[in-house]
Amino acid sequence: MAGRRSSFGKDTGLQARMVMTMFLLGLVYVVFIGVLFAAGAAAGLIVIVALVLLLVQFFGSDKIALATMGVKEVTPAQEPELHGIIERLCVQADLPKPKVGVIETSMPNACAMGKSKKATTVCATRGILELLSPAELEGVMAHELTHVINRDVLVMTLASFFATLASMIAQFALFFGGFGGGYGRGRDEEEEIMLVLLVSVLVYAISFLLLRALSRYREFAADRGSAVLTGRPSALASALLKISGTMERVPTQDLRRAEGMSAFFILPARTKKSLMNIFADHPPLEQRLAALERLESQLQSSA
Amino acid sequence: MGLRDILTGRHTVKGPAPDRLFAISTAYVTLQAEHQIDPAGKAAIVFQALATSEFEATLRDMEEVVTATGGESGTTVSTEDDSYGYRWMVLHNPDGAPSVEDLAVGINAVSTSIETAGHGERLLCAVFAFADAQKRRIYFIYNYKRGSWYPFVPDPANAQSRLTERELQIKAQMASELPIEPELERWFPLWGIPI
Repeated sequence: MAGRRSSFGKDTGLQARMVMTMFLLGLVYVVFIGVLFAAGAAAGLIVIVALVLLLVQFFGSDKIALATMGVKEVTPAQEPELHGIIERLCVQADLPKPKVGVIETSMPNACAMGKSKKATTVCATRGILELLSPAELEGVMAHELTHVINRDVLVMTLASFFATLASMIAQFALFFGGFGGGYGRGRDEEEEIMLVLLVSVLVYAISFLLLRALSRYREFAADRGSAVLTGRPSALASALLKISGTMERVPTQDLRRAEGMSAFFILPARTKKSLMNIFADHPPLEQRLAALERLESQLQSSA
Repeated sequence: MGLRDILTGRHTVKGPAPDRLFAISTAYVTLQAEHQIDPAGKAAIVFQALATSEFEATLRDMEEVVTATGGESGTTVSTEDDSYGYRWMVLHNPDGAPSVEDLAVGINAVSTSIETAGHGERLLCAVFAFADAQKRRIYFIYNYKRGSWYPFVPDPANAQSRLTERELQIKAQMASELPIEPELERWFPLWGIPI
């Protein structure tokens, strides 16, 4: 849509940070692959095993997640308002309509799962349906649909492939190399195994942090996409405020059970304020609100 | 959406497709003559109203333009917001003189001024109301993003249900006259249409 006037400016900074993160991830992985090949040995086998795992994760994870979270698919007759909101957003975004699910928990949250635009499920919890006004719910659903449009599941699965591989190798090397020792291996070989182990641990640590950063950038991008899709950045901001306010009041037990679902949600199911934001998969609320506020002022001054 | 857009998570909302709105202003002749589906003299355009002073000013200008162009035919305009936060701008023909051409011209004037103001991606759809021989409402919905039409027949007896059989009949009858949306899963319903 070049040359056409738009209500929102570009966010070149966010895109640059995202590309930079991916570049660094790639760099780490290239070094990793180099070391693996230099070490030779069973590296090829491990790569194949990891590839299979990746495929299983990519094609199966949504079903597993849907099942463990207790998502119930709902028909338009059961949830007319939710379906109405999603249908209109689909028209706006020119998307086929995803499946719509509801999770019967009082914790307010929403998530989207699926590997392609055609096979997606968008879920909302009972809590969020009761908590938010239609405009706020629309903002949240637009955020989730933007994850679908941006193929975030695919991007994150692919990006984390080598991190998974590295963690597997580290475990493998610890198990056989660290304690075994036998089978008449030479000194050189043991040194080699130690080197691979060391590099794997390093790769895992660095790529873990980079992946978390990437995940946070994708969240910002989804917030932005929601604002662009609905034209109401402040509605999403208000929804985030409401959700976070309630999340802090919800009893801990419920939250602990919900902890595992965190990565899929619009807000993580944690109440503690994290000291180290670099480990978080979602950006801090204040930063998201500030980004949405910038969008709203761009919109207001677009005349 | 290209690979670059996927990698950078950048996402722009699609603007309107090439305009096929005016297909209705010829198709209605067939509807009326061969299928006894008569225009109800009402049409509406649905869009997301941005909460900015600039957008509101555009809307006010637009209403004036539509009222002015509709002056000789007597077309009137009214606006309302639905529960989803979308704005409906409803055009009424004068009683007893339904004119699909006038409505299409009016709707086009509205969509053009929204697009000229740079907000083309806010347009959702246009709805033209018809009634069949049993006085049942039949809507023709124009999807701006895809530039295609589809029929929507809500069931008068049950809320939130539609008469899919009737819609498919209409599709078969009108496929040569109207650019009908080929993917049935994109025939999104609009409940509680105010016309």
